[in-house]
Amino acid sequence: MKFRTIKLLLCVFCFVFLTGPAALAADVNLSVAASLREAVTELSADFAKKSPGVSFQRNFGGSGALAKQIENGAPCDVFFSANVEWMDYLEGKRLIDASNISTLAFNEVVFVGKPGLKVHRLQDVVKLEKIAIGSPKSVPAGQYAMEAITKAGLDKQLENKLVMAKDVRECLMYAERGEVDGAFVYKTDAEIMAKEVKILFIVPQNLYPRVTYPVALTVTGSKKAEAVAFYGFLQSAEARKVLSKYGFAVK
Amino acid sequence: MPGFTPTDYSAILLSIKVATTATLISLPFGFTVAYLMTFRKFRGRVVLDVFVNLPLTLPPVVVGYLLLLLLGQQGWISKVLLQPLGIKLIFTWKAAVIATAVVGFPLMVRSIRTGMETIDIRLIQASRTLGAGWFDNVITIILPLSIRGIIAGSVLMFARGLGEFGATIIVAGNIPGVTQTIPLAIYEYVSSPRGDVMAMALCCVSITISIAVLIFHEWLGRQMIRTD
Repeated sequence: MKFRTIKLLLCVFCFVFLTGPAALAADVNLSVAASLREAVTELSADFAKKSPGVSFQRNFGGSGALAKQIENGAPCDVFFSANVEWMDYLEGKRLIDASNISTLAFNEVVFVGKPGLKVHRLQDVVKLEKIAIGSPKSVPAGQYAMEAITKAGLDKQLENKLVMAKDVRECLMYAERGEVDGAFVYKTDAEIMAKEVKILFIVPQNLYPRVTYPVALTVTGSKKAEAVAFYGFLQSAEARKVLSKYGFAVK
Repeated sequence: MPGFTPTDYSAILLSIKVATTATLISLPFGFTVAYLMTFRKFRGRVVLDVFVNLPLTLPPVVVGYLLLLLLGQQGWISKVLLQPLGIKLIFTWKAAVIATAVVGFPLMVRSIRTGMETIDIRLIQASRTLGAGWFDNVITIILPLSIRGIIAGSVLMFARGLGEFGATIIVAGNIPGVTQTIPLAIYEYVSSPRGDVMAMALCCVSITISIAVLIFHEWLGRQMIRTD
């Protein structure tokens, strides 16, 4: 009886661990900045439609967190970052194919909150109680916002008011639920996703570097024909059209 | 210690503060529930038992999410009770205390119950025959004889509270210097490519505190066996 139980357990074990989705050669792994979620989902779906047999595994998150996953060996063929810093970081670790990095799109940082709120410029934000921001340690949207806050000399006044989110979408979710008074997000997030909140002001561009999305093939990705083809597709006019449809600036 | 920032220090202090407060607040409730389940027979005892122990098996994220739904801006407890009184809980350290209390509560109740079950029932019967009411009984017999179970339960709950993450991050958010406890600070460092050293340093702090607390708990347990 006991022996039978062990046998059964072994069978279950083998079934669970050995029959998992076998990694197909045509599987392209994408690591994508959270703000690009909808755009890249559509881009990869478009590409998959034209090239039968290619399928995508998409992994979304804060760019810093994604970079760290890749550094620690997470499977990734194409990396979309929301700032140059994390791309350079991986290039420094020789995990990115240096000859295949390009700029995909641009964005802007905005502040969202309840429509009635009397907040029209960065200086007004200090009047609020709780503000969501992507963790500046790993989320580019938070890094850009923090840079603007610091440059405007408001960092001391905002101390203890900033709720750190793990990516920019979580930031927006906090604001949507009304748990924070406002949030620093990208213009595109506000335009695509926001329902309860609206853009109260655009953070002045002279306070932070332009939001730039680099995209690159990783060293493993550059050896995969499907990943290279997808990377090529991202440079096409068709891809640009999709990106601008979601509100991204392409030049 | 390698270059802890002021927010890291406040994370360490906050963890201890939250775990201590949650434990102290839970004590009277934990004692009451344990008393009811050990000495009283009543309808719905099983229901209470399951309900109290639920947080032990539920993912803390579920606990956090349910608390958010209840206490958040749109939650009904919030609308009925908190907003009229002008209390804001979500994304304050009080929310962290509540989350920690809910998640750690079953551990406390279990320990106190174990303590109470070792009490010789004849002592209680004797006190009754000598005319002690139930309150006298609780104060003079049950409380002193289960005190080690109470302390052990508190220590265990405190230790669990130090590590609370899933429910806390949802209801208390992650505000450095205000609601960022050690696990939340570690989480932030872990997702940052340049945060490994600091994450490791905070892990060491966490491990040190946990080991100290568990050794104390173990020592208490031995004391209990010796006196039995």
